[in-house]
Amino acid sequence: MTFSIKRSIAILQKDYKDVSKNLFVGSSIFMPLVLAALYGRLGVESINEFYMIFNMTFCLVAAYVQCSLIAEEKEKNTLRGLMLSPASTVEILAGKSLLSFIATVLVIAFAAFLIEYKPENILVISIALILSTVFYIGLGTVLGLVTKSVMEASVVILPFMAIFSFGSFLTVFAEKYPILKVAEYMPNSQLIILASEVQIGASLADIWFNLLVILAWVAVIYILVVIVYRKRMMD
Amino acid sequence: MENIIEVSGLAKLFANQSALKDVSFQVKKGETFGFLGPSGSGKTTTIKILTAQLAQTDGTALVFGVPASKLKEAGYRKKIGVLTDNSGLYARLTVHDNLKLYCDLYDVPHTRIDEVLDMVNLKDAKKKAISKLSKGMLQRITLARAFLHKPELLFLDEPTSALDPVNSKHIYKGLESLKEQGTTIFLTTHDMNEAEILCDRVAFLNDGVIQLLDTPKALRQKFADHTLTVELADGSKEIIDRGPEGAEAMYNYMKESKVVSIYSNEPTLGDIFVEVTGRKLS
Repeated sequence: MTFSIKRSIAILQKDYKDVSKNLFVGSSIFMPLVLAALYGRLGVESINEFYMIFNMTFCLVAAYVQCSLIAEEKEKNTLRGLMLSPASTVEILAGKSLLSFIATVLVIAFAAFLIEYKPENILVISIALILSTVFYIGLGTVLGLVTKSVMEASVVILPFMAIFSFGSFLTVFAEKYPILKVAEYMPNSQLIILASEVQIGASLADIWFNLLVILAWVAVIYILVVIVYRKRMMD
Repeated sequence: MENIIEVSGLAKLFANQSALKDVSFQVKKGETFGFLGPSGSGKTTTIKILTAQLAQTDGTALVFGVPASKLKEAGYRKKIGVLTDNSGLYARLTVHDNLKLYCDLYDVPHTRIDEVLDMVNLKDAKKKAISKLSKGMLQRITLARAFLHKPELLFLDEPTSALDPVNSKHIYKGLESLKEQGTTIFLTTHDMNEAEILCDRVAFLNDGVIQLLDTPKALRQKFADHTLTVELADGSKEIIDRGPEGAEAMYNYMKESKVVSIYSNEPTLGDIFVEVTGRKLS
């Protein structure tokens, strides 16, 4: 089976035009930037604060935009048209993920500029941020596939936003409630731990375990994508 | 002539409900085949199986000589066009942007957009947003999208269900032109006039079973009562047999210059359907 970049780009172009006319979804892309501009003026300096904005970007842009794009295709019955075209499942999902990916990368970069975040090792941080983006796009894809409309998607994503944006704060109470130690292994927590280590001089060799945990989350979410897609997309 | 579709013993169960029971038929290359039946008779289920959107419970369904499930491959997808019962168009985008997406997916030059819009009489709507179009216009754009890539086999599920007679005629003209180009058309409808105009052969589907399959002409002849109606100068109508007895009566009417018009009493496809199934088409 060959992969057609042309077909995936065609879906990306369509999604770009569609989202640019969709105020509801389009505006959520800019929310993290508003917060970043505000934080930038307040002069935030800690990794936890920087990464709260980044994790929020992952939830609002990577996961929510992706979730809405897929849910709307289902709601308006347009996904069937794509599925009946020569575009394969991989090409459709890649095309649909490209917009969320590009938007997330741009928002993260611009937000980092606004809050004046300067990582000590930009390569390691870039790898971690890209892996996290891929994970959140996978999460958005699963949620988009299980929901039937954009409105439903907006509701379903809320608990995930709470967990993945602010869930890392739970680790503060881990000493009192040991069960909360699990929260340390969430991708958002791992990203913060990794970024904190990098900021005090850790190299790729020192943070490989954190990257591995995020990679494991990526693997799990994409296995889920395949299972849910197969179950949901056949009549 | 080569068979494009070969269906044998096709059955489909939804939970414990039987949607199709032992359906068999063939569609020849270049033929317009009508699958006729009331709502819920199994027409759309058949199209979904033949376009790999649904797996059958039993039987075989071959399209282009391969099992229908193989049609998911890009090479086969390019050979078929499907008009489904829902528009599936992007409401915020223009007509042009919707068709451009499908040109890119099917690897078709963008110049084809004007050609298909011309075929469905919607060239002027090219820059309009889909959300601003009427239901009939939407149906025509969906149809244009279905034959944008000049498919060898076109599946049409109720293609004119939302259209007025004028727009239906545009569609018929377009479909006739596709047929002249050699496109095989598999059409589902409950509109018997449409079937008479477009189809080379028709199958009557009722409760998931094919009850009749033949050319419209052969069916009409088979179910005809072999009489003629003669309209006379005094306004009365006489029904006479087509045999020797009728000939004598006809000779007498004509000798006396009483005949205004003569027509045969062949049943319509709708009449035949009701007679065979005891159900009305709706």
